Formats: sequence, C-alpha cells, structure tokens
Amino acid sequence: MGSSTSHLSKELLTEYQELTFLTKQEILLAHKRFSDLLPQESRNVEDSLRVRVSTEQILTLPELKANPFRERICRVFSTAPERDSLSFEDFLDLFSVFSDAATPEIKSHYAFRIFDFDDDGTLNKEDLKQLVNCLTGEGQDTQLSTSEMKQLIENILEESDIDRDGTINLSEFQHVISRSPDFTSSFKIVL
Amino acid sequence: MNIADKTKHEEKLIASLINLPTRDRNKIIRNQPLTMQEKRKIKKKVNMEKQKSANQSIQLNYCTQCLTHYRHFKSVTSEFFQSLDVWQRTLKIIGSKFGTSVLSYFSFLTWLLKFNIFSFIVNFSFIIIPQLTDPKPNNLSFTGLELLTGAGSFQQTVLYYGFYTNSTIKHKGSNTSYNMQLAYIFTIGLYLVICFFSLLYSMACSFRNNFINPHVYSRGTAKLVFSWDFTITREKAVKLKQRNLTTELKENLSEIRHENVITPLKQRLSRFCIHLAAWIVSTGVAIACCAAVYFLAFNNMKFLREHKNQAATLLLPFLVCCFNLFVPLFYSSFGLVEKFEIPRHQVLVIIIRNIFLKISIIGILCYYWLNSIAVSHEECWETLIGQDIYRLLMMNFLFTLFDSIFGEFLRRIIGTKLIKSLGVPEFDIARNVLELIYTQTLLWIGIFFAPLLPFIHMITLFIMLNVKRISLMMNCLPPSKVWRASQMMTLFIFLLFFPSFTGVLCVLAITVWRLKPSAQCGPFQGLPSIIHAIYGWIEILSNRPSYLWVVWIYRNLIGSVHFFFILTLIVVIITYLYWQIIEGRKIMIKLLHEQIINEGKDKMFLVEKLLKLQESQKKTNTFPLAQERREQEVSLKWSKDGHLFILDKREWSEGTKVNLEDM
Repeated sequence: MGSSTSHLSKELLTEYQELTFLTKQEILLAHKRFSDLLPQESRNVEDSLRVRVSTEQILTLPELKANPFRERICRVFSTAPERDSLSFEDFLDLFSVFSDAATPEIKSHYAFRIFDFDDDGTLNKEDLKQLVNCLTGEGQDTQLSTSEMKQLIENILEESDIDRDGTINLSEFQHVISRSPDFTSSFKIVL
Repeated sequence: MNIADKTKHEEKLIASLINLPTRDRNKIIRNQPLTMQEKRKIKKKVNMEKQKSANQSIQLNYCTQCLTHYRHFKSVTSEFFQSLDVWQRTLKIIGSKFGTSVLSYFSFLTWLLKFNIFSFIVNFSFIIIPQLTDPKPNNLSFTGLELLTGAGSFQQTVLYYGFYTNSTIKHKGSNTSYNMQLAYIFTIGLYLVICFFSLLYSMACSFRNNFINPHVYSRGTAKLVFSWDFTITREKAVKLKQRNLTTELKENLSEIRHENVITPLKQRLSRFCIHLAAWIVSTGVAIACCAAVYFLAFNNMKFLREHKNQAATLLLPFLVCCFNLFVPLFYSSFGLVEKFEIPRHQVLVIIIRNIFLKISIIGILCYYWLNSIAVSHEECWETLIGQDIYRLLMMNFLFTLFDSIFGEFLRRIIGTKLIKSLGVPEFDIARNVLELIYTQTLLWIGIFFAPLLPFIHMITLFIMLNVKRISLMMNCLPPSKVWRASQMMTLFIFLLFFPSFTGVLCVLAITVWRLKPSAQCGPFQGLPSIIHAIYGWIEILSNRPSYLWVVWIYRNLIGSVHFFFILTLIVVIITYLYWQIIEGRKIMIKLLHEQIINEGKDKMFLVEKLLKLQESQKKTNTFPLAQERREQEVSLKWSKDGHLFILDKREWSEGTKVNLEDM
C-alpha cells in the first residue's frame, strides 16, 4: 500500500475525502483494487482515472461476486451512457455509499435505486417480484409459488404503501427502512 | 427526475450552501445522492459564488484557521486509531461468512475487550504503579497451582487488595507524596461513575436508534425483504442465507394465513399449562442451584479453615461453572415441548431464564461473601473474596475453552458423521452473550478486591476471541432464524446495565459503607468502615482555608439529603414531561398517517377523473385544439406542500401548472 501513496496526487485525495465518506486509507485501497482490474499497460495514475472497467470485470471482485444484486449495483453507480462500465470515481461512489460512515439517508436512497429494477422511480409489483426472486435465489427448491409470491407482495404493499397508490415511492421506502435499524449495519460492503 | 426540476433543485442547493461554513457545506454536498462529477460541479459553483461575495469582505479570521488545524489533527488521529484496529480484518471475515447477527456477538466481545483495556490502564496508572514504587518483600514461592487458584504466592502481589499500603507514599528527595487510601477509593469510584455514564449513554443511543417507532403496524415482512445482508460475500454463505430467508418468508406467510383461525380453548389451555410447568421447573432448578452453591460454600469454608489445602478451593468455582454450563442446555431442551406462537418470544424467554439463573447464583455468592467471609474475622477477608472471584473467572474461562473446543467440535463430528439428521451446530448467540455479561459482572465486583483483575480478564477475553473465531469457522453454521441483531444488542446492553451493573453498585456500596475492613492489611486497615477514609480527608481539608470549597461541595451537595431529594424531583418532572411529549407525538403520527391515506385516495380519484376527461375529449374530437391535447401525456405530480398540479410531460415549465382545485 505504501507504493500507491505516491500515485494519487494529494489534491485529488483531499477532494475525494471531501466528496465521499471514505478515509484516506480506504481511497488508496480502492485505487489499488481498481488498478488491479485494469490491463497491465494502463496501470498508471492517468489511465486509471480515465479508463472505464466493464461490469463483467468489476463483478470478479470477491466483495461483489456472490451478491445477488451485483448487476443492479453496477448499473446504479455507472455514469457511462450505456450503464455498463465503471470509472474510478464511480467505483469510489459505490464504496462510499456502502461504507461505515455513510448516513442512513444516503444508504436508503441507493438501496431504493438498486431495488427499482425498471428505473422508473417507484417500486411497483414487478420490481418487488424481482426483488423477492433475488432474495430467494434461482434454485427450484427455494423459489416461492405464484400464490405465495402474490400474497407476499400484497403484504409488503400493505405494510409500506402508506398512501395506498399501489407502488412504494422513495419516502415510503425510507419510512420502512427507518424502522429497521439492522438495515444500516447490513447495507455495507467493506473493501 | 426531470431535467428542469433537477437544475432547479441544484440552484436551490447552491444558494443554501453559500452561507454555510466549509465543514457543513462539505457534509451536505457529501450527503447528496449524486455522482462524483455532479458533486464536484456543485462544489465549484458554490466556491465561485463564494469568491464573488468574498471579494467584498475578506474575513479569514484566526478562529477558522484554528478549526482547520484541529480538524486536520482529528482526521490524522482517527486514521491512526483505525490502523490500530487490528480486529477489522477478523470481523470482516466473520461478517462475510456469517452475516451481521454473529458479527454482533463479536463486536460486543471486542467492545468489552476495549473496555477492559481502559479499566486496566486506569487501575494500573493510579493504583498499581504508585504501589510498585513502594515494594514489599514477597517470600512465598511460586508453585504453578496459583494460576488456577489465585492463592499462594499471588497473595503477596499487587493483584489483591491486601497488598496495598494504607500509608502515604513519599518520594525520596522531592517533597511529593501520594495518599494510597484516597487514590484507591477515588480511582475505583471514578471508574464506576465512568462505567455508569458510558453504559447509560450507549443504552440510550441504541434505544433511540432501535425502538423509535411508537406503534408497529407491521409484522416485518417488508423489513425482511428490504434488508438483505450485503456484508455476506461468500458464495456458499449467500446460498445458505437465501435458503434461510425463503423459509422465513414462507413461515411468515403461513402465520398470516393462520392468524384469523382462533386456536381452540383446549389447545390454548394445554399450551398455558406447559408454559407454567416450564417456568416452575426452570425457577425450581435455579433455586436448587443457588441452595447447592450456598451449602457448598459454607461447608467448604469450614473445611478450608481446618485443612489448608489449596486445591480444595477449586471445588466451589467448579460447581458454579458446571451449573452455568449445563443448566442452560437443560433449559434449551424445553424447546422440544414448549411451543411459542411468535418465535421471538422463545428467544426472550430463554434469555430471561438464563439471566435469572446466573444473576441469582452471583447474588448468593455475594451474600456468602458479605455475610460470612467479611464477618468471619479472617485475616484479610478482602483478599479472600478477590481470590474467590479470580478462581471463578479462571474456571469459567477454562469451561468456555472446553465448551468451544470439545463441545462444538464433538457436536459437529456427531452431526456430520454419526447422526446426519442433526447437522452442523448453529452458533448460539444468546447463550454466548449471556456468558460475557456474567463474567463482566464478576469482574466489576472483583475490581475493588483485586485491582489487577481487568488485566487478567483482558488476556482471557483476547484468547476467547481467537478460540471462538476459530471454532466458529470450523464447526458452526449461522443461525437459521432472522435475528434482530440491533434490537437484541439493545437488550443485552440493558441487561449489562440493569441487573448486572446496578447489582454490583449495591454490593460495593454495602462493602464501602457497612463493612469493617480487615485490621491487619489493605489500604483501609484500622478504619471502622471504608467511607471513613473520605470523612477523615474532609476533616483535614476543613482546616485548610484554600480547600474550603471542596468541603462546601461535599457537605452541601454530595453529603446532603436535600440536594438528592431536589435532584430526584427534577428528574421525575423531566421524565413526566417527556412522557407527555411522546404521547402527543403518537397522536400526531396517527393523524398524519390518516391524512396521507386520505390524500392518496384524493390522488387516485383525481387520476380517474382525468382519465375520464381524456376519454370524453377523445370521443368529441371536434376542435383541433383537443386533437393536439389528446396526444399529450398528462401526468400528476405532488408538490412538496401537498397541492396537486397537472404537469405536462413534454413541455414542462412553470407556466403550465394548472391548479386542479379550480377545476
């Protein structure tokens, strides 16, 4: 880690520290991990700040490899027009949100966006169905039957859809999350 | 979000940021759910605006510079401490395999470890170092059995109360002196006060974070679905977690289906009888254990008086540890016949029974110490109590090691090789945490009688952390039920505070105010009771005019009944006011909830009406204007103050807002 200290300039480091929830060590570690994903010839500072890494490669990280929401996470944090690759700054944004220091508000905001599979700004029944499928896994033995799924979604809506419009919006989602203190400690990925 | 909407939001944000100090500004920018580039842009804009206004009046005062330096210093020190946090890596690995629930046990363990390091530092610097500068000869030889019994040559060391002097330690050469009596009582007293407030603070914090909802509408299905544990990163662990979650969801659903079916009276009655029987048996067992401990303690004391056999002292701690290990196992076997409607109640009931057992055993031991040993005219009874506690802690430590190395290991071998249906054992969080609470209680009682005890406890905790970690990795599975980790943690901190710490305070208060310290040894020898050390000190101070304020504070605040009466009254009034505020808020929340539902209904109604309007316009289809309008998508949007506007998606601007109330 000592060698990478000389890589990122001091100004850039301070700026990253101001704009994210990460500490200096965490930023340097993230940079190292990001550089490792790059091809051998572009593992210098300029390239590592410029080049984008494709989602497939990001998903080889052990921290994300097994996560059922891995594709959604990459999609939400990507700034590329096709939403299929991450720059170093996107990468930092990702780990900033999933860090210890991030506030519950920002965590729940991004959790909402990750769970919003069709990116339309609300969680509708289709989103909830996909979410539950991610939670239970693809295996035949673990999937819920159609009637079970229907009832589960109805229950979720009954508990969280306060204004009864059939979908869960951001503030309703945050309201549910605020009553679940385990959320903040479990919405966390440590590099 | 609309682009126009976004820029407006951004402008508003920038305007609000300009007048804030740099630190708050950074904090707010950091908290925006935006990408890095957008945040950077906002920051630049704010800085530009700031410079415009700063040109008129440049005020970089000394204070802000100081603050920047301070902040820099703070960040450097916090980074330093973070690099010292050697357990970070370990905890991450545990979290990746077992999730937050097991992680909470290990964070509690490391928290206790840090707490004991702090206790050790306090005791070491204010009591032990001064005593070490004034050494006494130790002419007892070391045999090795001392490590277990704590007696023998350990008796003449700084480990125990009896070794400390009651004199004032004077430094040769210079005039500085150190009153051991006062140092002893003030260090322990202040340490307990710090414990009290830190426990109270952490309890209040976790209470506020975890029980904020005044009334619960839900069964927690939504919480279950929205709180995926992102800390788990191992493929296998993820699969296991998914399977557990599926079972949990299915159980939840079947519970809801069965909710409307009322269980027949006969079944309810039989269930009630089983609960009652289980409670009677468990309480009976606890009382029997206490009685056994009591009789053994007395008979053992008589036996020891006649034969000075070191090994015989180990009998009592051995028995206590056996009770602590096997009775909880017996309690958990009740689960086979005792069924609970809500699974969470089962955990709570097991915790209550176990804590009752452990605390009553400690209570009986305290009774034995304070009522028999303390009045037995033994030489140095404080040291004897210290030794007893040392033995209990040591024995407990050995039992825990034995339990993790052999118990869990054997259980795994049996589960995987012999009886396949049992499977790999689950890690029992509640039992392990209660074990920690039990040892911490013993330590707090012992800290007065053996000031070096935190050091020993620190070492045992450190070994336990590693042994438990290895045993967990090799032998255990994560718990299959969803464990409400943070709510349970609040309960555990509360248990650490209420029966445990308050009980310790009572025991120590009796020791300090009521009991006569032994005449031949220890810092308080020759006094009628320990508190007389303070009385004597105040007496001396009242002869010195420059210290009269200390005397005044003592007489009017600490020693006065009226002051505490008024203080209690104020606390009661404040509590009552807060209670009333909470009641008011509950009503408020209920009303607001109803209002939201009504507004949602309004919204649905208006949407329906709009659609109908559109339909009818489609039918008439005569005016070209209507033709045009038909193509426009109409959507609804709620503005922040609750008014409803129709927004035209294609040409959205301020001007196209139409207030629906006029329609």
